[in-house]
This record gives sequence, C-alpha cells and structure tokens, in this order.
Amino acid sequence: MSTKTMRMSQLSHQFLTKLSAIVPLAKHWLYKFHGGIFPDYHKDLALKQPLRQGYMPKKLILPLQQHMGEPATACVKVGENVLKYQVIAQAIEPRSVPLHAPTSGKVVAIAPQPLPHASGVAEMAIVIEPDGLDEALTNPLQQDQLPPNNKQDPIAAFKHTILNAGVVGMGGAGFPSYAKLPNQPGLVKHLIINGAECEPFITCDDMLMQTHPAEILAGAHALATAFQIPNIIFAIESNKPNAIKAVRHAIAGQASNSVVKVQLVEVATVYPMGGQKQLIQELLGLEIPHNKHAIDIGIVMMNVATLRAIHHAINLGLPSVSRFVTVSGHGLKEPFNIETMIGTPFDELAMLAKPASSINYSLIMGGPMMGVRLVNNHVPVIKTTNCILANPPEPIHQAMACIRCGECAEVCPVNLLPQQLYWHAKAQEFDKTQDYKLFDCIECGCCAYVCPSHIPLVQYYRNAKAEIREQHAQAALAEQAKQRHEARLARIEREKLEREAKLAAKKAAVKAQAAEATPKKDVTAEPATTKLSAREKAMQAAKARQAAAAASSKKADSAAVKSEPAAPSAEDKRKAAMAAAKARAAAKQAKQAQQSDKKSATESVSVEDKRKAAMAAAKARAAAKKAQQESSDA
Amino acid sequence: MNAWLGILLFLALAVAFGLLLGYAAVRFKVEGDPVVEIIDQKLPQTQCGQCGYPGCKPYAEALAKGEADVNLCIPGGEPTMLEIAEILKKDPKPMAAEATEPKPPMVALIDENLCIGCVLCIKACPVDAILGATKMMHTVIAKECTGCELCIPVCPVDCISMVTEEVSSKNWKWPQPNSVTRIPVEVKAVES
Repeated sequence: MSTKTMRMSQLSHQFLTKLSAIVPLAKHWLYKFHGGIFPDYHKDLALKQPLRQGYMPKKLILPLQQHMGEPATACVKVGENVLKYQVIAQAIEPRSVPLHAPTSGKVVAIAPQPLPHASGVAEMAIVIEPDGLDEALTNPLQQDQLPPNNKQDPIAAFKHTILNAGVVGMGGAGFPSYAKLPNQPGLVKHLIINGAECEPFITCDDMLMQTHPAEILAGAHALATAFQIPNIIFAIESNKPNAIKAVRHAIAGQASNSVVKVQLVEVATVYPMGGQKQLIQELLGLEIPHNKHAIDIGIVMMNVATLRAIHHAINLGLPSVSRFVTVSGHGLKEPFNIETMIGTPFDELAMLAKPASSINYSLIMGGPMMGVRLVNNHVPVIKTTNCILANPPEPIHQAMACIRCGECAEVCPVNLLPQQLYWHAKAQEFDKTQDYKLFDCIECGCCAYVCPSHIPLVQYYRNAKAEIREQHAQAALAEQAKQRHEARLARIEREKLEREAKLAAKKAAVKAQAAEATPKKDVTAEPATTKLSAREKAMQAAKARQAAAAASSKKADSAAVKSEPAAPSAEDKRKAAMAAAKARAAAKQAKQAQQSDKKSATESVSVEDKRKAAMAAAKARAAAKKAQQESSDA
Repeated sequence: MNAWLGILLFLALAVAFGLLLGYAAVRFKVEGDPVVEIIDQKLPQTQCGQCGYPGCKPYAEALAKGEADVNLCIPGGEPTMLEIAEILKKDPKPMAAEATEPKPPMVALIDENLCIGCVLCIKACPVDAILGATKMMHTVIAKECTGCELCIPVCPVDCISMVTEEVSSKNWKWPQPNSVTRIPVEVKAVES
C-alpha cells in the first residue's frame, strides 16, 4: 500500500468511527465480514490491576489431555520427585504432545481428576505437590541432541522442538502447533499474529502484548525464518490502544535486524473479529473454503500466547509450562491477569481475586460468549484456558418460540441461516442441518445473543454436531463389523476347503499305492478290476505294503547276519530297480486300463472311474520317474 | 405416397430406438439385487442373529425376497424397522417389546479370573473380537465388539458380562437444551 492510499483509508476509517457514534449502522462498514455484534466488553475490569506472577498453588493438577488429538502417556510414578521442565508425560500416540512439570515437587497421584470441560467428566491427570524450591532442569529440551536427520532440515528441527516443548494453540482450540505447520518451506505466504481477542472480559492476550511484545515478535520471526514466510501481519483490535503502542514500539526496535518486517494492522472492534475465518477475511479478503484449513490457502494464524511459547521453545529452549489467564467477572472485587502455572486450580485463582460473596455458583471457563459453565470449580488451568469468569448466576430467560424475525441470520459471521439450522437441529433432522452447513458454524454465539426469544441456539448446534459425529462413528463401526464378519466367513470357508483338500490328497495317495500293488494280469485279464471300489483297493495296497515290509525286514536280517559291507548298497540298488519296475508296471497297467475304459466307454464304465484311473496313472508315472532317478543316483 | 413415407419414417425410428434401448439394457445392466445391499447398509451389523437369520446379510436377503418381516432387527429398533419398511414399500409393524426401548451401546467383558480358556466364545463371536487360545485367558477387543451377546450363553463358567462404555470427554455429547439448563450467553453488569 502506498502512503497516499494508506492515509486515505485512515481518514475514512476515522470518519466512519466518528459517524458510528451517531449512526449505529455505520459500525458495520468498518470491517469486511458479514454480521457480528457489539457487546459490552468489560475489558477494563481485569486491566485495572497489574499483572500478577509467582503464585504457588498447593497442588498442581495436570490432565494428560490438554489438546486436540490423543492424550499423552504418563512416564513418572507416584512418589517420584520431579524438577521444573521435566517431562512427566510423553507423546507416544500420534497427534499427542508431551507434558512437563511446571515446578519442582513430588508426584502425589496419577488418577482421574475432573476436567475443565463442559461435561465435567474426570480423566487421568498427574497431581504434583510443589516443594516451593522451583528447581529447574538445565537444558530441558536438549536441542543440541536432535535426531541426526533433523539437523540438516530446519523445518523438521523446528517442528521437533515445538513438539518436544509441548506447544499447542493457546487461543482456545488447543490444536498441537507442530501438526498445523507444513513440512516444506515456501508453502506459507502469510503469518497472521492474532491479537484481536474479541471476547468480552478476556484481557490476557492484551496484557501479554503490553508486557512481552518482543517475545511474541521473536516467536513470529523464528517461525517466519524456518518456513520462509514472506509476510507477517500483526492484527490487534482497536480497543487495545496500550497493546498497539507496545507492539509498535517493539516492531520499531526489531526492524533493523529482522529479515521480514512485521505489518501492524489495527482492526475494528467487533465480535467475533478474533475468529480465524473472520480475521483472515478482514486482513486478506480471503474466505477459507468449506472443509479446508487456513494452511490450504497458504495462511498460518497463531495466537500471541502460542508465538511466545514458540519463542520460549526455539530461542530459550524452555517447554510450555505456564500461561496468561484472565480472572475476571462481576462476582470478584479485584479481577486481574496472572501468569500462572498450568495445573493451578480455578477456585484458588478466583479466591485470589477477592470474591464479593462466596463462590457457591459455577465458574465459567472462557468468555461469556463461547465459554462453558463448569460442573466442578476445582478444575485446573490447562494450556487452552484463557479466562476464568466469576459471574453470579442471573435470572434465566425462559426460551420462547422462534418468531422468525431473522436477526440471527443478520449477525451470523459465517453467513449461515441459524433459524433453519435451529428448526432442523431441534427436530433431529441431521441430514438437513448438514445441507445448511452446520459444520461451518464456529459456535460464536452471535445468533443466541441477539435472539429476542432467548433460544439457546448454539447448544442446539453443539448437540446436533455431537449427534452427527456419533452417527458417523457408529456407521464406521458397523462397516468395520461387517468387514470382520465377512472376513470370518471367508476364513471359515477357506479352512473347510483346506480340510477337504487335505482329505482328498490323503485318499489319492492311498489310491496310488493301491494302483501300485494291483497285479498286472488282473487288469489285462478283465477290465472289470477298474471297477474295484477305493476301499478294496486300499485294502489290497495295505496287504501289499505289509508283505513288502515283511520281505524287506527278512532281507535286512539276512543282510545283517551276512554283515557284508557292500550288501546294503547292492540291496538298495535292487530295491530301487524293483520299485522302478513296479511303478513302470503300474503306469502301464493304468494306461491299459484307461484304454480299455475308452473301449468300453459305451458300456457301463462311469466317468468317475475314468478320472480315478487317470489320477492313478499320473501318480504312477511320477513314482516311476522318482524311482528311475533314485536308481540312477544309486 | 405420403402414407408410405410416414410408415417408413416411423419404422426407421422404431428400429433406431429399439437398438438404443437394446444397447442401454446391455450397457447399464444392474448386477444382482441392489435392494439387498441397500438394506444391509441400514442394518446395525451386530451379526447377533436375534432376527432368526445367521447374520445381517442373510436377513437382508430374506427381506429382499419377501420371506422375512420388517420388524425382526432388535438392535436396530424402530428406526431401522421404519427404514426397511420405507425401502421395501411395506407397512411398518410394531417391534417386539424388548426393542422398543433403545439400549445404550454395550460391549462384552470377560472376567479374567474366572475364564478357563475353553475357546467356546471365540467360536461364537461373529466378528472375531475375542482373543485367546486353549487353556489361555481370553479377552474381548472392546473396539471390535458389536455387543451381540452371542458369547454369553456359550460360556460354561458365565464369566462374560455386558458393560456400557464409560463417558469421557471424547464421547460426551452436548445434550439438547431444554428450558431448565442453558448456557448464559448474555452477561449484564451488576449494579452495586
């Protein structure tokens, strides 16, 4: 942008800002996406107090799952002493991140603990009792001991380090940061630093930008250098003048020695400006297509707190063990922002803020728009916790019937039709909710905020999404069960066939021996012998075998008595020759039988017999060949 | 003359369309009975045999032939019965009493202290979800178990029980809102 157009846009922006004081509609002309609301922000509550640090809770509760994906696997034992930054749970499953001890202390339990989650369910967590010494491990990430194949590749090394440091998106979604980044340089065109923080009451990102702007920029530069990102945009909402000042100052201080210049953009104050899709649309005019991610259109967006965690991991070699949290709400006398360890319980932090009355109501995790009321107040701060809100419960508006006013569609920032979604979600018509693109809903709560009938629209959508996900999971399970059942049937069939084949082979072997033992003259004399049943043949063969065995044992005995050294070899030769002869005879006999069969085909000889004879002939030929070989060997 | 022209024209058209239809009948021929596949898709694939057929597919085949009633699938319950009736254009029939209440999804669990390693349950399992060998302790692969309960009657020591899956943050569902519980979305300042 040239300076002239920039000046023009600034002027028009200033004019619109002034105009909006008189004409409320003009507020909507200040930003590019559809809808949006202008709630009471109450951000000054927590910003009145300075940043607090160094609170040491009595116990730290560290859930194994603090992110999207699979939980980490605990690698310490109860009773073990751990140091600060020590790995206490490893990322063994794919899409998992490790967990580090936020301070030194003793592991007192590895057991299910209530989670900061809307369900209030208890899941596995490591409980550490701090010893108050805060002894730290030196070089916790061991960056000098990277796997050898990572050393050459800066991107692989970068991703390896932030995975080992346990960095996840700290804006709220908790997506493991390494999984968000591509594997090749040059794929990312824009890095957007998200400092919009549009939700009411929350000021932890504001406080972070005011106190540590240089660390955020250092994280962004590290990322931009590794992935060769040509453009960095730092977006801050206009209601944070102190943060804007601090960041501008920090950019001016860094500009001389950095490769990529950071562009600071002041965006309009509107909820939900901080949403990824909304902020991208505002800054670049691009919309993320349905079912795609920002990375698919060459954009990576990171929250300021995530970039600070990246700076700590890459430049300082420290894992992610603490974060900024806003403790605010109308029920507290001294709301504040605090840099606290992961695992600090909510209720302890709320007590620090001097509650006006005892907190006998449930706290809210997150802000008033997207946050959830907790079932249990004794839950820990996790890597995605940005705010603890203590608002005493108010009289609940009775939800009334939808009057089809259409306000919800006016404010939807993703251009959906919340009313249609509501009808279909309420009637459990999930196919239709998907036709209306339910999964593009970002659950921002604008529609419910403006609804004159006070319908809890977002909860209907959350319910519908959960039901659809369950249906998909069940369909996948049914498909799996079907495949396994079919595989089982196929296996049973195969085993049956194998058994039959084995039996048939056995029978055929018996038959071949029978053919071997049958005297020649029998066949030539009368072709009727071919009609002998398999049983009779087998019996004959058995008799023949017995006789042969007796004869050979006699011969062997006599040979032993004679004890001639040359005898055995001579005997063998003779035996082999005899066997060969026998086999040849059998083959001939079979051939003859076949021929006679052919002749008498018009008579009563069955096809079955023919096949048997052919098989016997083949066997006999094979035996003859073998015997010949043996005799020639001998 | 004109009359002959008309006849010839229509004859030519008839031949042309006849050939076209004949070709289409060969080119777009539907192999087998697709109804069986469609019904099989709708069945829950527990392979439990409660319908009286040895699996979901045989039941689907019997339904397609018109030999079976539409209300035999117990695990599928009423929704499945309605879907089958819709596909077959038959009248829905009331389900048996045990299928009217939807059961939560369950999986079999072997009490490993009691198991004697008789392999009878392994033979009964329609989806090969039980792992074990003769005189070795058996175990159910919970991920693969369809909850068909076919292993329960064959166990000589009654060591198999059905358990429901525990609620975790992964399978927990947001309930549909009612007028009593709701998430506050509007926060107003308290006058002091």
